Amino acid sequence: MDKNLEIAALISRAEQDIKNAASVKDLDALRVCLLGKKGELTGMLRSMGSLTPQERPAFGQLINQARDEIEGFLSTREGTLKEKELAERLEQERIDVTLPTQLPRLGTPHPHTLVLNEVIDCFVGLGFEVVEGPEIELDKYNFELLNIPKNHPARDAQDTFYIDENIVLRTHTSPVQARVMLERKPPIRIICPGRVYRADEVDATHSPVFHQIEGLVIDKDVTMADLRGTLGAFARQLYGDNIKTRFRPSYFPFTEPSAEVDLTCIVCKGAGCRVCKDSGWIEVLGAGMVNPKVLEDCGIDSSVYSGFAFGVGVERITMLRYGISDMRWLYEGDERFLRQFS
Amino acid sequence: MKASYNWIKEYTGVNAPREEYQHRMIMAGTAVETMEPMLPFTGVVIGRVITCEKHENSDHLHICQVDVGGENPLQIVCGAPNVSAGQLVPTAVVGAKLPGLTIKRGKIRGVESEGMLCSSVELMIPTDLYPSVGDAGLLILNEDYPVGMDFKAALGLDDEIIDFDILADRPDCLSIWGVARETAAVFDTAFKAPRDMDITTGDAIHQLAKVTIKNPDLCPRYTAKVVKNLRLGPSPLWMRARLHAAGIRAINNIVDITNYVMLETGHPMHAFDLGQVRGNHIIVREAEPGEQLTTLDGKKHHLLGGELLICDEQGPTGLAGIMGGLESEITENTRELLFECAAFDRTLTRVVSRRLGIRTESSGRFERGVNPATVKQAMARACALIELLDAGDVVPGIIDHYPNPVTQKTLTTSVSRIKHRSGADIDGQEMVSLLTRLDFKAELDGDTLLVTPPLHRSDIEQEADVCEEVLRLAGYDRIPETLMRGETTQGKDSAARLMKRDVHQVLNSQGFDEIINLSFIAQKQLDAMGLPAEDERNTPIRITNPLGEDTAVMRTSLVPDMLRTLAKNLNQRNETALLYELGTVYFHEPKTDDGLFSERSALCLGAYGEQVNFYFVRDTLLALLKKAHITWDIQPGGELYHHPGRCARILVEGEAIATVGEVHPKIAEQADIKPGCVIAEFDLEAYAKLRKPFDAVTPLPRTPAVLRDLALVVKKEQDLLPVLQEILRAGGKLLEDVQLFDVFEGTQVGEGKKSAAFSLTLRHPEKTLEEEEINRVIEKVKKNLNQAFQAEIRT
Repeated sequence: MDKNLEIAALISRAEQDIKNAASVKDLDALRVCLLGKKGELTGMLRSMGSLTPQERPAFGQLINQARDEIEGFLSTREGTLKEKELAERLEQERIDVTLPTQLPRLGTPHPHTLVLNEVIDCFVGLGFEVVEGPEIELDKYNFELLNIPKNHPARDAQDTFYIDENIVLRTHTSPVQARVMLERKPPIRIICPGRVYRADEVDATHSPVFHQIEGLVIDKDVTMADLRGTLGAFARQLYGDNIKTRFRPSYFPFTEPSAEVDLTCIVCKGAGCRVCKDSGWIEVLGAGMVNPKVLEDCGIDSSVYSGFAFGVGVERITMLRYGISDMRWLYEGDERFLRQFS
Repeated sequence: MKASYNWIKEYTGVNAPREEYQHRMIMAGTAVETMEPMLPFTGVVIGRVITCEKHENSDHLHICQVDVGGENPLQIVCGAPNVSAGQLVPTAVVGAKLPGLTIKRGKIRGVESEGMLCSSVELMIPTDLYPSVGDAGLLILNEDYPVGMDFKAALGLDDEIIDFDILADRPDCLSIWGVARETAAVFDTAFKAPRDMDITTGDAIHQLAKVTIKNPDLCPRYTAKVVKNLRLGPSPLWMRARLHAAGIRAINNIVDITNYVMLETGHPMHAFDLGQVRGNHIIVREAEPGEQLTTLDGKKHHLLGGELLICDEQGPTGLAGIMGGLESEITENTRELLFECAAFDRTLTRVVSRRLGIRTESSGRFERGVNPATVKQAMARACALIELLDAGDVVPGIIDHYPNPVTQKTLTTSVSRIKHRSGADIDGQEMVSLLTRLDFKAELDGDTLLVTPPLHRSDIEQEADVCEEVLRLAGYDRIPETLMRGETTQGKDSAARLMKRDVHQVLNSQGFDEIINLSFIAQKQLDAMGLPAEDERNTPIRITNPLGEDTAVMRTSLVPDMLRTLAKNLNQRNETALLYELGTVYFHEPKTDDGLFSERSALCLGAYGEQVNFYFVRDTLLALLKKAHITWDIQPGGELYHHPGRCARILVEGEAIATVGEVHPKIAEQADIKPGCVIAEFDLEAYAKLRKPFDAVTPLPRTPAVLRDLALVVKKEQDLLPVLQEILRAGGKLLEDVQLFDVFEGTQVGEGKKSAAFSLTLRHPEKTLEEEEINRVIEKVKKNLNQAFQAEIRT
């Protein structure tokens, strides 16, 4: 009976000691003291020799139960202590996550390139192919094939830089269209982005070098409604779903009928503001049905084919898109301006 | 073109408010830029000064009792020296708004004043519009007007000035008749032309004048009328007011009539003093080379020959369609005049006007095209005005040289084609009615629409033109939105642009920002680069008419403007600038098949800042090559504008694709940038050709790699890329990769030496490498390095 009491006492003392253990290391020491080869419980097992053979099985069972019980205490305590130690370590490893540091520097394409890519993606999606051409161009392609003969008053509107009598800095990207019409057979769906030149001094809304995107479609049964639908898709892509188009009659030598195309003012959404001079509309594009004379001059049968063309200034749509009020910012290369886009 | 709204109203019966008029005209294709009251004041009425007494406390003020039609006269203190009782004067009553001034009740030197008597300057009425003493005193009215009536209404000056922006294909609209016809069509009223006058009957003119046209091709029509017993004097106020609205000064009844007719009909007219036309004979001919002429403005011109002249029997008296001559000008002594109304060749007018530097109202109109068909109507109008103003006696008969009259052409068009082109649902009947509003004759026969435009519409030549007329009058708002039908086409971006998108991506990921510079620069910017004499970049393509010397040549390099942009950023104290430009450079050669110039894509990088050094920019360029799966070599040396010890050429297949280096201190000083800025040029044309597609990955190895470090000591001047390349060569197939990981100099490696440590990765594709194989490779490497570079191996 003494032995039984001794075991019970051991269990209760072990439970207390294990509970009091402060660290995993202490716990390991306790394990050795209690259950190790030279531990107390092992010592008791050795004392079994003093018992009768009848008493031994029951005693052995008691010892085993005690071992299980103590191991249970140890493992529970170990779990608790490990959690606690991890929590302490994690607490110590805390860093200041609000620490202000230098951001990784990402560069940016020019705002111009951003808008151009968006526009081109839109038209590529509509089945247009991008075609580029020379900037220093023959008068023939820049003017004559577009129904603007020498000394035509329409040349006044486009003050032209000349290299010599027959070579100009192109005043629009339309010469690319003329080249394509001469080379290819319809259906033609092209878009021509590029630099163009007009003899304007630099100011808030003018630059002698600027960029245009022009589009040309030639096929059977092309209508002005198709032009309007295409430009509507473009406008919504660039400025949002609520943008509407408005066509106003105009004149361009290479289109007939011709239109100035207004979009809902993107600043006031049509309510009227300073940007749209209270009209609710902003002028963005020039467009029209390709003049049959131009088709014929480029070797396309105007009784079979019709087409539309449009042109837009990239600077203009970029400035509208980002609320840029002075065109010079686009050409100054000032990092304070450019960094805003990255 | 500025025009009086009242004038348009007179011929159309349209009386729409400003906003409606503006909007409807714009939407039908006649742009109205602005529409403003002709005289910018309100609240000014006709007042009669009843009494005028001296102000006690002033040596110049008067106290006036002014009748403005009310129960009691107004007491107004007036400082004008010319005020006196009995005068009829413009009186601004309390509440009147004048430019920069609102009239209030007040006291002037203790005397109550209830308004202001006005001078012409305060009302912005020039003396040619209404005669007055100007700013020297009150505007005193010479005629009788009802007291209390609105001043502007009383004088017929209650008008609005419309500023039209007329499209280049509508020269007919550079006239009141033109815009009135448009107005009538848009508002669906009738255009009422003024009463026509018979000017052809009789032949008395032939005794007084003769006209000979030597070049009918350059002068398709010439009409002349003679007016005798000239009674020169001022023209009436209504005529002066309309000239004023158009911005033209009134001179006298004859000059005013020619200007009035030009504004109303669009036909420039000229009046000759017939007494000064020698031989009473007008001859229209081309100038001989070397001929001289003095124009109305007193300037003497030396002619090249080929200019069209108006001459008499002794010589030239005027430049046809551009400016008259001094000698035949109308003066007070003129008794008989000859009116000219003609059509001259637009191209020649344009060329001559530019060559001589004379731009007049007349030349501007002839350049844009004056229609020969309507010349006689304009002449008739002038004669009718001579009679109306009683300015002289019109001599019966007309001289009219018009060998090839313009005839009305009938176009055969198709309703369905017009409808199709426009995309709008407009039927044949509606087309007829719309065209009729524009004075076209239109006959419908099934799908066929026979259209005869009026003579004044010389711009209508084809079905597409008719389509535009129909559509603009119906309203462009009727065009629906549809998407294209038919054979589908594959949309695609150009290869050049797709390549550039990749370039943007690499450069942006390294923190570089794109800039865009103009395509032209100054020759001196190129000279400052210090390029070798024979370099093609020294001889750019020149613009014949540049804006200035700073933008006179097409750029042959992106570097000059990159330097300028770096300087601007430094000047703004921006700490770091990482910039690139993707642009075109232009060269004389090689010429294209069209004989055009060589336009090449180029890339330029420019950078400065704390994190920026030579290696950063060089490695960005190498990243571009790696992205395109191109292998490279690097050699010391770059451009002359680089620091000679800190620049390199990047070679691909033995050819330089890029140069990169710090800016030479001398160039940096000139360009106003600090030392250490790095600049690089990259040949995008070569890049486009060398790019290799990436379409097959290398499978991941299944065998383990072995890492070995190798430290060696070489001469301090030894470049390390050749060393690394030698290691790779010596290492053979088993050496997978070599990285340089440490370089240092110091006493422990010895004077004039440096230590370089490389990490070698060895791997056999199929098995685990054995120690012996590894050692064989390492030994080979060591031996070769020792032979090639006298390298001492430290480990």
